[in-house]
Amino acid sequence: MKICTNPKLLSSLIVAVFFILSLKTHAQSDPSGSRRVTSSYAITNATITTSPGQTVQGATILFKDGLITAIGTNVTIPKGTDVLKGDSLFIYPGFIDGASSAGVSRPADPERPANFDSSNPSDEQAGITPWRSVLDHHDAQQNAIGDWRKAGITIAQIIPDGGMLPGKASIITFGSTSSTNILAENTALAAKFRGSRGVYPGTPLGVMAKFRDVYKNAELSYTHTKLFSNNNGLNRPEINKTYQALFPVLDKNIPVIFEVSNDLEIRRALRLQKELGFKLVLSGVTEVEHLISEIKEAKAVILLSLALPEDKTKANEDATEEYKARTARVKEAYEQALKQAAILEKEGIKFGFSTAGSKSGDLMKNLQIMIENGLTEKTALAALSIHNAENLGIQKYAGTLEKGKLANMVITTAPLFSKDAQVKHIIADGYVFDYETKSKKISSEKSNSSNGDIAGEWEYTSDTPAGSSGGLMKIEGSGSNLKGSITYDDPAGNGTAQADMKDIKFQDDNLSFSFDVSAGGMDIKVNVSGEIDGSQFSGQISLGEFGSFPMNASRKPTTRTTSKSLSK
Amino acid sequence: MKKLNILIAAILTLVWTPSQGQTEKGSVLIKNATVLTVTNGTLEDTDVLVENGVIKKIGKGLSANNVTTVDAKGKFLMPGIIDAHSHVALDAVNEATAPITSEVQMADVVDPFDIGIYRALAGGVTISHAMHGSANAIGGQNITLKHRYGTYNPEDLYMKEAPRTIKFALGENPTRVHGRGKNIQPRTRMGVEAIIRNGFNEALQYKKSWEKYNNDLKQKGATPIPPKHDARLQTLVDILDGKIIIHCHSYRADEIYALINTCRDFGITNIVFSHVNEGFKVAPELAAYTMGASVFADWWAYKFEVYYSTAYNAAILTENNVITSINSDSGELIRHLYHEAAKTQRYGQLNDEQALALITINPAKQLGIADKVGSIEEGKQGDLVLFNEHPLSVYAIPQMTFVDGVKYFDIEDDADDMRIKVSATDTVEPIFLKEHDHNCMHGVDFFFNNFGRSLFQHSH
Repeated sequence: MKICTNPKLLSSLIVAVFFILSLKTHAQSDPSGSRRVTSSYAITNATITTSPGQTVQGATILFKDGLITAIGTNVTIPKGTDVLKGDSLFIYPGFIDGASSAGVSRPADPERPANFDSSNPSDEQAGITPWRSVLDHHDAQQNAIGDWRKAGITIAQIIPDGGMLPGKASIITFGSTSSTNILAENTALAAKFRGSRGVYPGTPLGVMAKFRDVYKNAELSYTHTKLFSNNNGLNRPEINKTYQALFPVLDKNIPVIFEVSNDLEIRRALRLQKELGFKLVLSGVTEVEHLISEIKEAKAVILLSLALPEDKTKANEDATEEYKARTARVKEAYEQALKQAAILEKEGIKFGFSTAGSKSGDLMKNLQIMIENGLTEKTALAALSIHNAENLGIQKYAGTLEKGKLANMVITTAPLFSKDAQVKHIIADGYVFDYETKSKKISSEKSNSSNGDIAGEWEYTSDTPAGSSGGLMKIEGSGSNLKGSITYDDPAGNGTAQADMKDIKFQDDNLSFSFDVSAGGMDIKVNVSGEIDGSQFSGQISLGEFGSFPMNASRKPTTRTTSKSLSK
Repeated sequence: MKKLNILIAAILTLVWTPSQGQTEKGSVLIKNATVLTVTNGTLEDTDVLVENGVIKKIGKGLSANNVTTVDAKGKFLMPGIIDAHSHVALDAVNEATAPITSEVQMADVVDPFDIGIYRALAGGVTISHAMHGSANAIGGQNITLKHRYGTYNPEDLYMKEAPRTIKFALGENPTRVHGRGKNIQPRTRMGVEAIIRNGFNEALQYKKSWEKYNNDLKQKGATPIPPKHDARLQTLVDILDGKIIIHCHSYRADEIYALINTCRDFGITNIVFSHVNEGFKVAPELAAYTMGASVFADWWAYKFEVYYSTAYNAAILTENNVITSINSDSGELIRHLYHEAAKTQRYGQLNDEQALALITINPAKQLGIADKVGSIEEGKQGDLVLFNEHPLSVYAIPQMTFVDGVKYFDIEDDADDMRIKVSATDTVEPIFLKEHDHNCMHGVDFFFNNFGRSLFQHSH
């Protein structure tokens, strides 16, 4: 009774009880239906490659709460386990990406004051923000992560975007969005040869000099800080967050991960490493053949880019002798670019792969091309799994399929690097992601489905974060001589805009093209690719960094067909 | 015929394997040439033997075992041409973001794949001085390059024995970029001088702070705190200590004389003036206090400060005992510096030796490498050019160019495509469409508004 007389206490009690109850309700049922029934899974009777070169037939893998609990041919499956039939499936260690930009956004540049002195900018204005963590500028919900997961990536080191020293990298898993997914924070200091437009340092010249300046002053600041803590009678050190952010690099606790776009940039990074002595990781590497001894000497970790150039000389089948002679070296350079992975393997350099700058849809295709050009399948898998686990220092819990390691797997319908392989499931952080697979059509059927003719008007719809939108694709011509235009909802306002379709390719029922959209003063290259089945198209529309989204189209019946059918 | 071309190209690419590691040194015996030594007159019917990159012997009837012999009867052999002001083989030229950028190093951005190097070789140029641009009062540290074309390693091009040099710039370029462009000092010639003087004064303080620190370190039990590191000021200290030669972009007599005075105040004697179109007005001062002037033969009127000019400039400076050279500052002029030198015979009646010195021993002196290159002397490096005619003749065409005794150009073996590296994605590379821009104001265009661009559209 006494309690009742105290309304304040009563109401707070009610609130507290309600709160506990509501918590309980959440814990006991899941009205959204998104929570999984169990976190314990078994995949039975599969062909399991536990590590590159080690394969077990008819094996079962058991994992619970994100951890592999058993693996082998004689595994008892406990009760309450969700069993996936693995017959005819192939299981591999989940891919690890040495340097990814998935879900990472570039922080806005700070406003420039009215009396801004471009010769003496603040560190932040100069693109020097080594204290930043990539996690503060990362959106785990972004479609790009889903795209890369579908391509097989289960763990990635994400690299911050920004200027010459944009911040520190972190390692995350591509598991459920209900988790933060962080495996390790501040794993490397990111560096780029990227100047600040109109601000010091503006060119590679300035970036090289500024890098030395920051590094050497960080060393001196470190010395001062140590002296101050061990002696009296000294001036206090001026705390500088840029220098402090470099201390783990000076201690060699973390490496500098330098993004490089060509062999001259690799040499510049090696030059700085030789002068200053930090641990070096090179990411986005494309040209290695003339740098083998230098790379070995520097003990630099190589993250080879998964991007490959396009064969520009191939398009011209009916080229003249003059054209062929003139482009012979371009073709040679192209062929050489495909061999870089094989060259590294032959030279015994234990490299990993990085995806930054490449497309998720190209991952398997590009690996196949590298394998056709001399890379062994074993090393291809190693470069995406155990090598990168070692490069990132996470080999204790990732990189292979073993009891006690994290449950990250790529599960395919055929051996990994074969043409027929399709991803059926991805296990990331113990979560199962299912993908639709298509049964391969017989080749005679293939050519019939569209008769190799895709000319006409296609109405399409796509679902983007901004909502559903659609438009019209007009395609003319045939074979390798296709032209077209596409309309789309103008992002600048009302109405529709139109763009030319570029690089239209149609082969084996696969259609791909791109077009440019300008939105808010920014040009975005939009890539479309998908499969045509008769008069239906289903595929993906990819908006650069924003990820990719489903797109479907159907061909409008042509008037000619109509008149034909009428005449019958 | 076309098939044959492809075959030749294929063979060439096979033969064209770039050297790795140590820079290559070659041996060659050139027989019966008219040898233009530059420092020791003209020697008719003379042989020059280069062994392991160095000129071993000059004389008649020389022979050597296992050395390639070139029959040069009727041909003219001169020292490799040296360009004291060039921007060839650089990935970036201007760090145009601050009035002093003495910490930046052109060595960091050398591009060994630049076809401009091969074109320069085809013009007989064996050494170029790859300079920072002229956007800043004190620009970056330059690098002297030997044209060892064919390497993938930029360091193979460095002339490691050459002393350090740095770019300075006076007048309209730094005042336009920083004053007009960004509203900071310097906006006038007075501002340029103040920037340079302030820089040197700060450098003196910087030097002192480090000297104090290093002395304190020697005291037993002392725990001195290190000063800040500043490569910008340290480079200026090195200039004051005489370790770096200044190469200063300049046009007007007043600004040249003002910088001479600044240098005298700070005890600097290692300074060369570049362009120097009004140099003829201050020739005695240039002769007395500097390492000379590096000029254009007859290039002017591309902006206001370059109107008071004369084609007699090089001759007047030479006759006034100024160490004078003729430079290119251009990926095009570098291909015919011998023509540029010959112009001084039309305008100023310089003799052959004086005219050739403008592109050989004199630029070598200005770069601090005259004891190693710049003339045909025993003991000097084997940088040589063989011409069909006298190099000062209008009909002169370089036939072969040697660097360190290695032949890098031969007109008989000059394939259409001499690129080292080919892009895998560009079927038509930009170099086929347009001459490369190699000049002082490279890469700074975006700092100008339309007014500035239309008023000052030029490149030096």
